[in-house]
Amino acid sequence: MASTAATRAAAGAAKVVKPIFSRDLDEAKRRVRELYRAWYREVPNTVAMYQLDITTRQGRDKVRELFTKNKHVTDPRVIDMLVIKGKMELQETIHVWKQKTHIMRFFAESEEPRPTDFLSKFYKGHDP
Amino acid sequence: MAARVLMQCVRSVARPSLRLCSVNLTVRTAAVSNTVSHRSLCFSGDSRRTRWLEQSRVSAANIDVSCRLYGDLPPLTFDTIRDRVLYVLKLYDKINPEKLQASSHFMKDLGLDSLDQVEIIMAMEDEFGFEIPDAEAEKLMTPEEIVQYIADKKDVYE
Repeated sequence: MASTAATRAAAGAAKVVKPIFSRDLDEAKRRVRELYRAWYREVPNTVAMYQLDITTRQGRDKVRELFTKNKHVTDPRVIDMLVIKGKMELQETIHVWKQKTHIMRFFAESEEPRPTDFLSKFYKGHDP
Repeated sequence: MAARVLMQCVRSVARPSLRLCSVNLTVRTAAVSNTVSHRSLCFSGDSRRTRWLEQSRVSAANIDVSCRLYGDLPPLTFDTIRDRVLYVLKLYDKINPEKLQASSHFMKDLGLDSLDQVEIIMAMEDEFGFEIPDAEAEKLMTPEEIVQYIADKKDVYE
């Protein structure tokens, strides 16, 4: 407890921390770009290998969405950690250690529009 | 070597035409006795073929053997590189083709993201067939810079 407080104070005072991979923000962004390139090139192979029901464009949009979700991060170590996790996902996807369900977990379940006319509601059943 | 290849091509072209000629001959000489017509057919066929071969040999020898026909792409010039780069950029759906010019900045003029710029550089890699490392790719922000970079890498002078 006291030791963690001391390290936190030391880190706050010095503002120099041990980096994971990259020393500054530019290097971290370069790693992000490399990862994006690898994922971009991997998406069509993934769609073919796992016989997914999505188009390549939808897959690439999903990759873009996941990258922009973490766009606001500025700490190089956090960026490095996210890049490491992305690389792990990429390795599992390339080597087919995953299955179709693991990849489709990235996509939200598609909702069917609720029926409006009488006959569609009748076919769907009573579901109040 | 090119002469030999050309001769073979000419021979393969000449063969079907020879077949046509022999068919006509058989139709015309059907009335004549078999042996005589057969022998005359063979003789005429052979003479025709030898005449074809001689002609082809002569024509092949006339062809300039010094032009070597390797399989390679046409040489690049600044204009062709620029046309190809702008064509690929026009195909990209996030770019408005009317607003695109050779000097339009991706981020400032066309409002693209850094990831969009990565996608554009990847499309250029696919188009021109060589890898562009990320350290140099992050600096290419206008189509003109891309053209200059490709010209540097491919040794295109003017």
